[in-house]
Amino acid sequence: MSGEGKKRYINRLKSFLPLRSKIDETYKKSLEAIQMGRPVAWAMINAWYGDPILRAIELETVYPENFGAVCAAEGIAESYLNRADAEGFPSHLCGYARNCFGYVSRMTKELGGKIPPEAPIGGMPKPIFLLSSNIGCDARYKWFQALGRYLDVPVWVLDMPIPGVKELFRDGVYERCIRFIVEELKEFVHFLERILGVKMDWDRLEKTVYDIEEMNRVWFEINEFRKAIPCPMHSRDFWSAMPPSLFLAGKPAETLILYKEMWKEVKERVDHKLSSIHTEEKFRILFSELPPWHSLSVFENMAERGWNFVIESWGYHPPPPLDLSGISDPLEHIARFSFHFHTAYFKDALEEGEYYGYMGYPLLKFAREYKCDGAFFHLPLTCRSTSTHQLYLQEKMKEKLKIPSMIVSGDIVDLRLFNPAEVMKRIEVFEESMESYRKVREERS
Amino acid sequence: MPEGSQGITRAKDICRDRFRRVKELRKEGRKILGYICLHAPVEMMTALQIIPFRMLGDIYETPTQVDRFLPRAFCPFVRSVFDLSLKGKYDFLDGMLLVHSCDAMERTGRIWESVVDHHYFHFMDLPTKVSERHRKFFREGLDDFKKTLEELTGKELSFEELKKAIESHNEQRRLVRSLYEITEKVPPKISGSEILQVIGAITSIPVEEGNKLLREVLAEIGKRKSGKLKGPRILVWGSVLDHPAFVEMIEDLGAHVVIDDLCTGTRGYWVDVKLDGDLLSSLAYYYLVELRCPRTFKEAPSDGKRKDYSADLEERFGYLREFAKTWKVDGAILQSVKYCDCHGFEVPQVKDYFNSLGITSLSLEHNYMIADREVLKTRVEAFLEILRGGVE
Ligand code: SF4
Ligand code: SF4
Repeated sequence: MSGEGKKRYINRLKSFLPLRSKIDETYKKSLEAIQMGRPVAWAMINAWYGDPILRAIELETVYPENFGAVCAAEGIAESYLNRADAEGFPSHLCGYARNCFGYVSRMTKELGGKIPPEAPIGGMPKPIFLLSSNIGCDARYKWFQALGRYLDVPVWVLDMPIPGVKELFRDGVYERCIRFIVEELKEFVHFLERILGVKMDWDRLEKTVYDIEEMNRVWFEINEFRKAIPCPMHSRDFWSAMPPSLFLAGKPAETLILYKEMWKEVKERVDHKLSSIHTEEKFRILFSELPPWHSLSVFENMAERGWNFVIESWGYHPPPPLDLSGISDPLEHIARFSFHFHTAYFKDALEEGEYYGYMGYPLLKFAREYKCDGAFFHLPLTCRSTSTHQLYLQEKMKEKLKIPSMIVSGDIVDLRLFNPAEVMKRIEVFEESMESYRKVREERS
Repeated sequence: MPEGSQGITRAKDICRDRFRRVKELRKEGRKILGYICLHAPVEMMTALQIIPFRMLGDIYETPTQVDRFLPRAFCPFVRSVFDLSLKGKYDFLDGMLLVHSCDAMERTGRIWESVVDHHYFHFMDLPTKVSERHRKFFREGLDDFKKTLEELTGKELSFEELKKAIESHNEQRRLVRSLYEITEKVPPKISGSEILQVIGAITSIPVEEGNKLLREVLAEIGKRKSGKLKGPRILVWGSVLDHPAFVEMIEDLGAHVVIDDLCTGTRGYWVDVKLDGDLLSSLAYYYLVELRCPRTFKEAPSDGKRKDYSADLEERFGYLREFAKTWKVDGAILQSVKYCDCHGFEVPQVKDYFNSLGITSLSLEHNYMIADREVLKTRVEAFLEILRGGVE
């Protein structure tokens, strides 16, 4: 972080604070649950697939991916990574997963299932089951499957169909996927009812689903405001505010109100042409993928030079709103919403002859619509899911949009791989490149 | 090369120059479709007179073009295949089928389709779980694939033609299993690296030609005299080995690779596709349930409340117990290319399973390229020494 008293160049919103605090609240609640003899689940981030059900059935849930980021930021991860190495897990595997293997190995092999005392924010208590999915990456189910070495709890995998871009538009494919997802959800509800010994409260589920859709609609609109020049909200605020949407940290009904507050604050900035950086907005930048959580101060240094991060990783954003008013079954709501998240940009992608319809193409679209001057790609070495599309996008952005980008290697957990000083050295050269491409774009238009 | 080994020599020739035969056939007007992963239902292509061609990489060729599109910390096998495609080496194909077998395939497939111009390209999704409902869903995906093939060829895929094609491929599976039956014997009359080359050959020619070649090879091996028992009998497990160099290296060090669990070895040949009832359902069952691959989520049946790790390992890896017993395995080498998440997560669990069987194992990661073999050699040598301590 920038030193105390150092001038801040990012003009942070006020409304992100209560949203960010929902993370700590989630961990606190899971610990309270365990203390009161109530179960806790561990889940992978699942794009609103299983989470709405977990919230409606009131099962406290923690997210080992997020815990990995917290351990990295708190400097605890290294000891867990070393343990995972010693347990025989290859070091190229997802850093969050390896952090988790180390943590669980310590918890089960050394502490009889108790939370390790050094664990940050209270740690993750032993779960009643593990919710996996194939969404986003293979690690999200292979990781929990491998936890069977340490935990004798069931793994439930939610399967999400992932068709090709043009294949999605073949006759009947879309609706077939929806029917499949609804069936997945039904089975998941039965599983939960069995393992928890409670019945799903369908009215509560309906209300939860409504709140989630509404919350994401507001959150989507907030991000639409960021197309304004100057951009009213920086990526730092986005990252701080995203957990209530991304993995439903907090109660959706309450966080909906908080997002509405944020909507007002951002709208006011747009109306008054207020920027999210205190310097002149010289460069509008797209950020791709997992942020270097441990080195976020580098964004202050860039803001000082007029870099405004106006949009970021597709995977953290809710999909464009979908009219589901004609549908009464809450499971179908969930199915359509979550599937829409994955496929919302397929149609546009197909029209442009692009087949990386999620993850890849949406960023191309964002770069154009948010009038970006450049893109900053953070290439995490242990996450295939978020690194595969980056070079391809770099190529496409340059070829199609005349937008240059810089790629910086790093990792999600291993802090030593990201070098902020090196980044600052490179950005001067990159500024020249952005300037010259700006001219190319102007000439072209 | 053994004397009079006509069939094997031919197999090796084809394996060395895998494109030659299909290029000839293409000139004769045959359609060729490329696929990479074993989950591609090749029977459906064969049934429509399309030649399925397994696209492999090249451990001798440094990837250059692929750096434009894929990061270095990425499955080096997929990088290599994609690199060859970008260099135009797969231009003879009429198109490609890309199956969602793992992240690397799925993601690269989307880039591939965006940057390489193939007349035909189909992306086939594959569920992660194996229940009846998942199979039914996958069967519908197979039906979509069928329609695209019909559009490509202008012909309808008939039940009879599909049945015939499945029979031919099943025949191929049986013949390959016969090859492995030879290695059950002590000492084996065929080496593991020879088997890999035979498989490399038959995946680059039409199935009937492949079957003929296999019969030739089997006849020839039948006449071979038994060699000498050189050393430990090894099982090789893991990700794709599309070149015999790795196995050759183990064999050159005085061991016998008698059985494998590789997607360029036994995996595609161990079970037949059933021929009863709806054939697309049979294919769905085969490719989702029977085909062993870490990408598919399998677990032991349970009460849903508690997981029993040993039961889980038995359910997932029980076949390795059979392999170890039938092939009298002394040690297992668990190898994987770097950055393969599916196999990487699996390694400690497979190791646990071998431990439970009392079989010593060695895990190795490599970067796919030939240059890496020297580095691995020392470790394999040390491992074989340990085994020799127990074998002799
Ligand atoms: S591999 Fe990447 S996307 Fe998958 S769990 Fe790890 S960090 Fe998340
Ligand atoms: S080696 Fe692993 S990552 Fe590469 S294609 Fe095979 S399963 Fe996928």
